Amino acid sequence: MYAELHARSAFSFLEGASTPEDLVSTAADLGMPALALADIDNLSGAPRFYMAAKKAGLQAHLGVEVTAAAGGRYTLFAESRTGYQNLCRLLSTMKLRAPKGQAAATEEDFRTYSEGLICLTHGERDPQLLLDIYGRGQVYAELTRDLQRSTEALNQRVLAIAGKHQFPLLATNGVRYAKPGKRELMDVLTCVRHKTTIDQAGRLLEANAQRYLKPERMMQRLFADYPQALANTQALSERLGFTLADLGYQFPLYPLPPGETIDSFLRQRTEEGARGRYRPYHEKAQRQIERELQLIAKLELGGYFLIVWDIVRFCREQGILAQGRGSAANSAVCYSLGITAVDPVGMDLLFERFLSEERGEWPDIDIDLPSGDQRERVIQYVYQRYGQHGAAMTANVITYRGRSGIRDVGKALGYTKETLDPIASLVSRWGFQQPGEPVEKPFEEAGQKLNDPRTAKFIQLYREIQDLPRHLGQHSGGMVISQHALSSVVPLEPATMPGRVIIQWDKEDCADLGLIKVDLLGLGMMAALEESIELIRTAHGDEIDLSQLPADDPKVYAMMQQADTVGLFQVESRAQMASLPLTKPEKFYDLVVQVAIIRPGPIVGKLYHPFVRRRRGLEAPVSLHPSLDGVLARTLGVPLFQEQLLRMAMIVANFTGGEAEELRRAMGFKRSEKRMIDIEARLRAGMTANGIDAEAQEKIVHSITAFALYGFPESHAASFALLAYASAWLRTYYPAAFTAALLNQQPMGFYHPATLVKDAQRHGVRVLPVDITKSDWRCNIEEGALRLGLNYSRGLRADVAQLIVKKRPFLSIVDLTRRIPELRKDELRQLASIGALNPLEDTHRRDALWQSELALQPVGPLLAELEPANGKSPLQAMTAAERLVADFAGTSMTVGAHPVAHHRAELTRQRVWRAIDLAQARNNTIVRIAGCVICRQRPSTAKGFAFFSLEDETGIANAIVAPALFEKHRLVLIGEPYLLFEGVLQNQGGAISVKVGRVTPLRLGQALMESHDFH
Amino acid sequence: MSLSWHDPVYAAIHIANPEPAAAAALFALAQQFSPLVEMAGPRTVVLAIGALRRLMGSPAQITSEMARRAQERHLQGRIAVAANPDTAVIAAQHLAGINLIPHGREVEQLGHLPVTALPADPNTLAVLDRWGVRTVEEFCALPRTGIAERLGPNGLRLLAIARGEVHRPIKPQAETVNYEERFALDHPVDLLEPLLFLIARLLNDLCDRLRQHSRATTELRVLLALVDGSTHTRVLALPFATHDSHALLKLVQLDCEAHPPRAAIRHLTVAVLPVEPRVIQHHLYTPPSPVPERLELTLAKIRAMVGEDKAGFPELLDTHRPDAWRIRSSAPLVHEPDREFGLRLALRYFRPPLPAKVEVERGRPVRLTARGIAGRIVQAAGPWRTSGDWWTAIAWSREDWDVALTDGALYRIALNEVHWAVDASYD
Repeated sequence: MYAELHARSAFSFLEGASTPEDLVSTAADLGMPALALADIDNLSGAPRFYMAAKKAGLQAHLGVEVTAAAGGRYTLFAESRTGYQNLCRLLSTMKLRAPKGQAAATEEDFRTYSEGLICLTHGERDPQLLLDIYGRGQVYAELTRDLQRSTEALNQRVLAIAGKHQFPLLATNGVRYAKPGKRELMDVLTCVRHKTTIDQAGRLLEANAQRYLKPERMMQRLFADYPQALANTQALSERLGFTLADLGYQFPLYPLPPGETIDSFLRQRTEEGARGRYRPYHEKAQRQIERELQLIAKLELGGYFLIVWDIVRFCREQGILAQGRGSAANSAVCYSLGITAVDPVGMDLLFERFLSEERGEWPDIDIDLPSGDQRERVIQYVYQRYGQHGAAMTANVITYRGRSGIRDVGKALGYTKETLDPIASLVSRWGFQQPGEPVEKPFEEAGQKLNDPRTAKFIQLYREIQDLPRHLGQHSGGMVISQHALSSVVPLEPATMPGRVIIQWDKEDCADLGLIKVDLLGLGMMAALEESIELIRTAHGDEIDLSQLPADDPKVYAMMQQADTVGLFQVESRAQMASLPLTKPEKFYDLVVQVAIIRPGPIVGKLYHPFVRRRRGLEAPVSLHPSLDGVLARTLGVPLFQEQLLRMAMIVANFTGGEAEELRRAMGFKRSEKRMIDIEARLRAGMTANGIDAEAQEKIVHSITAFALYGFPESHAASFALLAYASAWLRTYYPAAFTAALLNQQPMGFYHPATLVKDAQRHGVRVLPVDITKSDWRCNIEEGALRLGLNYSRGLRADVAQLIVKKRPFLSIVDLTRRIPELRKDELRQLASIGALNPLEDTHRRDALWQSELALQPVGPLLAELEPANGKSPLQAMTAAERLVADFAGTSMTVGAHPVAHHRAELTRQRVWRAIDLAQARNNTIVRIAGCVICRQRPSTAKGFAFFSLEDETGIANAIVAPALFEKHRLVLIGEPYLLFEGVLQNQGGAISVKVGRVTPLRLGQALMESHDFH
Repeated sequence: MSLSWHDPVYAAIHIANPEPAAAAALFALAQQFSPLVEMAGPRTVVLAIGALRRLMGSPAQITSEMARRAQERHLQGRIAVAANPDTAVIAAQHLAGINLIPHGREVEQLGHLPVTALPADPNTLAVLDRWGVRTVEEFCALPRTGIAERLGPNGLRLLAIARGEVHRPIKPQAETVNYEERFALDHPVDLLEPLLFLIARLLNDLCDRLRQHSRATTELRVLLALVDGSTHTRVLALPFATHDSHALLKLVQLDCEAHPPRAAIRHLTVAVLPVEPRVIQHHLYTPPSPVPERLELTLAKIRAMVGEDKAGFPELLDTHRPDAWRIRSSAPLVHEPDREFGLRLALRYFRPPLPAKVEVERGRPVRLTARGIAGRIVQAAGPWRTSGDWWTAIAWSREDWDVALTDGALYRIALNEVHWAVDASYD
């Protein structure tokens, strides 16, 4: 029986052309009993390989081709858990001490981490040395027959060595791809690796297409003269006893006070917290908490809760906002411990979504933290608490996606950048590919001839390269922690950021293998909320506690119902604004639904419109099936949340909790398509058994699969809705502080700072320009007004700005440059052009520029102490239009009149409506709107329709452009900063938009506002 | 309006013609009026015309004569005369027609021009833009001291230029050497001998010029305008730099014999590319090699006989395709052959490969027959499979075997698609 024991996957990063799953499925098709994966210098593909093999009933052996400092590579396999741990340590040691891409193991490393490992030799290194390191019986002589003379010559040498040292022979095919057809992709990857083209690569390319998984009879024929080599594959496979099921990972133990157990300590902390949270601590909450604590104790998960509690406690002590998101918000224990902010008892959330007895996996707790420094402090705390090798960030496997696939394959095939750019832009600009959209489309649209043989190859290879791993990145916030050194569980690598270490697995791999992960995610809005509170405290003396905000404030909801939501968390997008006047949220749960409904899932699943109709009372709230009435009552019969979908599956198809969980995992998982097909079949079978008719089945399956990519749990929506409400409340009552915080946290959210400022001004906030005598580095509140910070003077460095703040007041511009010599010419000129120096000289911007140039001239020591003549400049003051241009060039916004306001008279003459007046226009009349484009979108869910938001001095007007019109005016629509639309006004229950019939570019000068395009 | 002849007078000509040859024509035009010509831009010249007063009359008369001659040369120009070269240049570049700018009225006449008309560096222009200074007049209105304090000496100089206050001599352009000769024939020539006679004359002149300027050439270009309206162009790239007119003529002769023009010739252009001459210091112990000129001549003779692509230097191609090579016209860089393991047998290639008949049993060759070769195969190693160029229309795939016949001979045989051939024998 033959088993291939030397296969590389695409996780060898450009040195293998098939995914681990492809290798496994091909090996299974060939009837192999086992397969060994040995990627180059990493175990990144191991979890996927193991999971796929487990499913296919194959034994999954793990090895690595380890680069040696002396040259060449050692192929090592883990015989036991000790061997696996040594392999991980070996890789970690070599990776952590060398810059990325230069890691190599020394002879000393190989010797130190040799126990439990089996080494293959291909004749390339000193056999005696291998024997010394790994011991007799641990070294195999590898014979490979890829039908090349040079390999056969090597085999002769291997045979001689094997004979001399009594190494057992081992037949392999040195597999680099699952099937022969992948050789072409392998060649392309080789070109990418060597940064060359296929025409120039020469003998770097494969000589033939033989390095694939071969059937046993073919290997028997190839090794007819060495049958023992083939037989030894079985023997070695039997020796390789280690699998990832035997990982040996242990979650860290929380240090307990004497006399306490984990469960007693957790119970105390929970009770303490619950008394603070629930006032009074009512019976329902007590019952729920008791139930949860019992389950936690039974599943021995208390330690995990304490670890997360400890992180949250650190945040609280340090004044860092922290809020759990995701399914943890279903737990009353999490709520009591301060991990989450949503009361699951009050909201009747489904605890089983978070934790269930049968699931057999760690619960998932994600914590949102203010992005930036605060989050970094928390990460460093975790490192400090669990040791440099006890905690690490999870990796993010960067795979080939549309655009990168086009670039790399195209470059390898010799296409020029000029040819590739249009194709790549078409792929990326329109985002994800529509289901059923031909892969050739961007090629065709970019003018490539599809019948050209090279183009056909390009398309074929572009398709094949999709989802292949390209390199390892760092996940945005996932941290893994371990009781013992993580480096013996999974290889560690240095991250790009100093002081950070990443593991070689991504977060899904960690979940698959039971590694505990805590996601410490940076959220711009958390940082904005935190800063708002600080600004309010300083400027107004008011103390804001987000957990104690007045609930269901009518003023806040009235604002949302009017789609007045610029800058708010989750409900500020164009699509949200179009929806809010229809759904009219009135209470917190409405907001929870609102957060969840404007997502590709509900829209693709055709759930949005039924919900809106039901919400408006235009349609009866009927469920997909009578059996689902109870589950769907809260959302008017429309399934919106993962929890509902799970319950639906359990009801309609008799899924167990475990199966429902599998369904959820398949839904939220990028590489889930195959799993989805499989589980869909089971779902349908279950529904048929329950007598549900085909039509209802179709609807149910459709609504469930709509969540394949963008599932949203109710608890998660609730956590986000809390932040949305908090942001709305702060904007309603403290708009200046809230806007200042938003401006300081840029980039974040949906709108450009210029739009945020204009919106704030429309809400009565007085916004003051950057002023060197008053502005701090960050935007601030000054006597109730919002003062722009020096951070909005483009190009001004933070450290120089801090010096300005520290050393003021200044007598003059010359005094400023003299006392802050670090100030560069461009920085001073910029400050002068935006008017930031005006107060210093009590003058206009041109005067300041005139004085600045004088101040910038080097003065010799003789004249250094002399005060220069301070005469007024001969320059003319800037006109309003010039100031506008300078404002946008220097601060990317203006605190003066909106650019469109300068042209209002002319626009009125052209019968252009102001955005604010559109509500008064009659439905279905022809109107003209004009403004600067602040948002262009063409979502894949909209069948080619494009959505535009035009901003004028009174607000934002929304417009819809049909596909044909878009194609006709593509360049104008994409490229022009100011547009005039004429079309039919549509007012649906207060949601106003213009269906565009005519498009005209507006030339309103050089002040360019930036647009948020195509998200 | 007239200019005073008491001051030096300068004329500037600016042309709109974009083609590079027009610049040379402009320079030549200017040289007809003065030996002191300054190139003030890619399409602008300025020259002193004070000395022409007695010869050609007033500045207006001189400029009108300049315009006439420019028209003759199909140059679309603007002309300006001023008391200093810079004002003349600015006016010619930015004012239409012919303009005479009297001394002292520079700002009045140029003031409306954008400030970018001045010869300022981008940084200075950026500062002026920030100041809102849009025209020359606005710039001239700024105080001299203020400019000196802020823009330094460069700013002051720019201000002086704008105000027409810079008086400087012309910076004459060095003579440009022409390495191209043309000859128009009164009667078309259709024989090689008279053509070579003419080419020899032109080559002699060109090689003299090369020698005078310490130059040689590595590229000779012959353009023959034919009576049928077409052009016969030959470019001879030389692997060495030379100014030997005899050697060049011989190369042209061989090339013309190998590639004769298809019709009689009515116009002839010969050009050489000037390069640094070759300096050779022979090493004492370096074995003598043929003189490059002679080697090139010999190769040219062989190519003329056997064909362009059939003589040259062999070069192995970087591919897995066995025995892949091509002919290059120049010698490739010689690499050390890749050293693989062990001793290797020498291969003797059959060119072209010998078509063969091979009997195959159970996937292995057992008998070989080809021209002069026949026998039972007693040992066969293989198959060795290679394939490549899958991305082109000439994708290939082959299977090789190394076979030993009963008589002890060793051959390399190959199955290419469906045809067997003997590729080589092992010595």
